[in-house]
Amino acid sequence: MGFAVTVGGRRVECDADQSLLDACLRAGLWMPNSCNQGTCGTCKLQVVGGEVDHRDSPFDTLTAEERAAGMALACQARPVSDVEVGGAGDRATHPLRDLTATVLEVADIARDTRRVLLGLPEPLAFSAGQYVELVVPGSGARRQYSLANTADEDKVLELHVRRVPGGVATDGWLFGGLAVGDEVEATGPLGDFHLPPESDDDGGPMVLVGGGTGLAPLVGIARTALARHPSREVLLYHGVRGAADLYDLDRFAELAEEHAGFRFVPVLSEEPAAGRRSGFPTDAFVEDVPSARGWSGWLSGPPAMVEAGVKAFKRRRMAPRHIHREKFTPADALG
Amino acid sequence: MTTTEKPDLSWLDDVTMSELERNPYRTYERLRAEAPLAFVPVLGSYVASTAEVCREVATSPDFEGVITPAGGRTFGHPAIIGVNGDIHADLRSMVEPALQPVEVDRWIDDLVRPIARRYLEQFENDGQAELVSQFCEPVSVRALGDLLGLQSVDSDKLREWFAKLNRSFTNAAMTEDGEFANPEGFREGDEAKAEIRAIVDPLIDRWIVEPDDSAISHWLHDGMPPGQTRDREYIYPTIYVYLLGAMQEPGHGMASTLVGLFSRPEQLEQVVDDPVLIPRAISEGMRWTSPIWSATARISTKPVTVAGVDIPAGTPVMLSYGSANHDTGVYEAPSTYDLHRPPLPHLAFGAGSHACAGIYFANHVMRIAMEELFEAIPNLERDTREGVDFWGWGFRGPTSLHVTWEV
Ligand code: HEM
Ligand code: FES
Repeated sequence: MGFAVTVGGRRVECDADQSLLDACLRAGLWMPNSCNQGTCGTCKLQVVGGEVDHRDSPFDTLTAEERAAGMALACQARPVSDVEVGGAGDRATHPLRDLTATVLEVADIARDTRRVLLGLPEPLAFSAGQYVELVVPGSGARRQYSLANTADEDKVLELHVRRVPGGVATDGWLFGGLAVGDEVEATGPLGDFHLPPESDDDGGPMVLVGGGTGLAPLVGIARTALARHPSREVLLYHGVRGAADLYDLDRFAELAEEHAGFRFVPVLSEEPAAGRRSGFPTDAFVEDVPSARGWSGWLSGPPAMVEAGVKAFKRRRMAPRHIHREKFTPADALG
Repeated sequence: MTTTEKPDLSWLDDVTMSELERNPYRTYERLRAEAPLAFVPVLGSYVASTAEVCREVATSPDFEGVITPAGGRTFGHPAIIGVNGDIHADLRSMVEPALQPVEVDRWIDDLVRPIARRYLEQFENDGQAELVSQFCEPVSVRALGDLLGLQSVDSDKLREWFAKLNRSFTNAAMTEDGEFANPEGFREGDEAKAEIRAIVDPLIDRWIVEPDDSAISHWLHDGMPPGQTRDREYIYPTIYVYLLGAMQEPGHGMASTLVGLFSRPEQLEQVVDDPVLIPRAISEGMRWTSPIWSATARISTKPVTVAGVDIPAGTPVMLSYGSANHDTGVYEAPSTYDLHRPPLPHLAFGAGSHACAGIYFANHVMRIAMEELFEAIPNLERDTREGVDFWGWGFRGPTSLHVTWEV
């Protein structure tokens, strides 16, 4: 008889007489393991749901206290029910909610770019940089849009939307019939693209690179970071095709006035303009910053820009664990 | 009884020690195909070369641990790898407390991370380095040296000791009459041991009267009646086991993993970007180039048939874990480093009652060192002006690894 073992959201079949490790490895799911005989402890894991039989697990490797705390040796333990195995430290997250929001404002802010403000009936708990998923009326399609808000701006959500010609969500809706007063179904907050908790934020220098409307989450993150440490160094690069795609310049000028350490750098890739940097924003960063050791980096935009950003950051020796990237496929790419 | 036809293995007569040390894979590939258990004349011993036969011999109730002749000549008796029964149980109970996962978890980060940082600080702004001698080996020996209580012995000295003991331990060539073919090959090991005694004896003198929390102090005192300590002659052979393998292999393991990753730049990038992949990268590195390639053995306790070969009681069999981990019956394209290959268990840490006692500690030393390396130098590249040579049959790893990066 078989049971289901769930590891990090993946389900694997495991026979009653098969070790959890064996079942996972056979399903192509890697788990740390070395001795496969219960003596080294490399495969120790946390059982968060269901029950296992520890079989021959030696007490030297898996103590009585560890057993009581729900630990098991994957190479020895056999399932006696469906089992769920804990991943690396499930961090506390803001609860996910279904929301009905009201459109408060729709503004054209740049070429093919709109700012949409959504009013919420009650405040939403989220971290700056997270995103929400909107349900496109009539089509059932869902699109993800990052919040440009800081966490205390929790009653009016600010989204930046770029038009995709023929796209169901943009031409068909957000650039089509959308009007103030409309109701919008949404789910959120989602995503792990956000600052560490304030207690873990040492105020170190930051570079943020946004492509197009990928700027939105960085607007929330940069303002949050500066609120925490008003004099920290924050470099915000905005990569766009031409000057017509730029927006919120006043907002950034104001921020720079309040914070000597903040700098906003627009970079134009296709339509050069007098007084503006041209090229790619990640190249501009490499030119500007000789060493990014001790910095954190934040990337949001088209996948190619994000990839180039990771390379540029590492080239300037930013530690990879301080490189953060928005991983969802930008709504622009889907329409 | 089996009556299988014996394969013609006369080609084995031409195999030399230096050929095995340069590249053992060709010879062992042929052994795996033709005779997974075979008598290899230059080694004067039977050799198990496939995953199945290595595992069978290592875990069989009809075999027990034995040290190879050159190993025994180097370490003396009773080395933990060559004893059984009560003495083995006592030596395991002596070394294991410091290596238990719960225990290791308590201090491993505080021990290894500062050591890795310290070595990195010496070259991280140079833009180039030779990682085997500047990072992998120093971190490996310093971490274990501090654990053992050898803080006063500098890292270069520990590296010199393991290299000398290594060459002595693997001076395995035998004549037809069962004599060592190269007796002077033990001299540098003897010199190293004399130096080790001169340095460690006074430490032991002190630990006998002033126990502290170092591992060797515990080895002397733990489980002994009050006022008594284990005799130093009884623990020295196991100290040598540590000063060779346990000192050397985490360094080998890291260096091999790095060379493997450099052969797959896209996989290196994935691991650098996501340090969670480091343990998996190390596990594949251990499989790809097993640090303890062929250094331990078992001996039959009664007449047995293994892989169709009848052997009498008292027959030693060398375990070639480095070959077992290239068994095409288990791994596809085994000589390719592949982080994403189907994640099957390997034999790099051995099997059975003599399996490595330091797995958990070693894996974490390598993990933390590589985390710090990639954190400090995320733009690491292999210096392609220099080649990478691997050396070793008993113990194997890259002899050097030149890297560059933009500073
Ligand atoms: C990557 C590093 C290492 C590798 C690949 C490795 C591998 C091995 C292998 C293959 C054996 C022989 C197993 C057999 O005959 O079946 C062994 C034995 C042993 N290892 Fe390790 N080892 C490593 C590091 C360490 C460390 C750091 C320590 C101690 C701190 C250690 C302690 C031991 C001991 C005590 C034995 C003898 C066990 C016995 O005969 O009962 N090893 N190791
Ligand atoms: S793999 Fe060693 S205890 Fe499970």
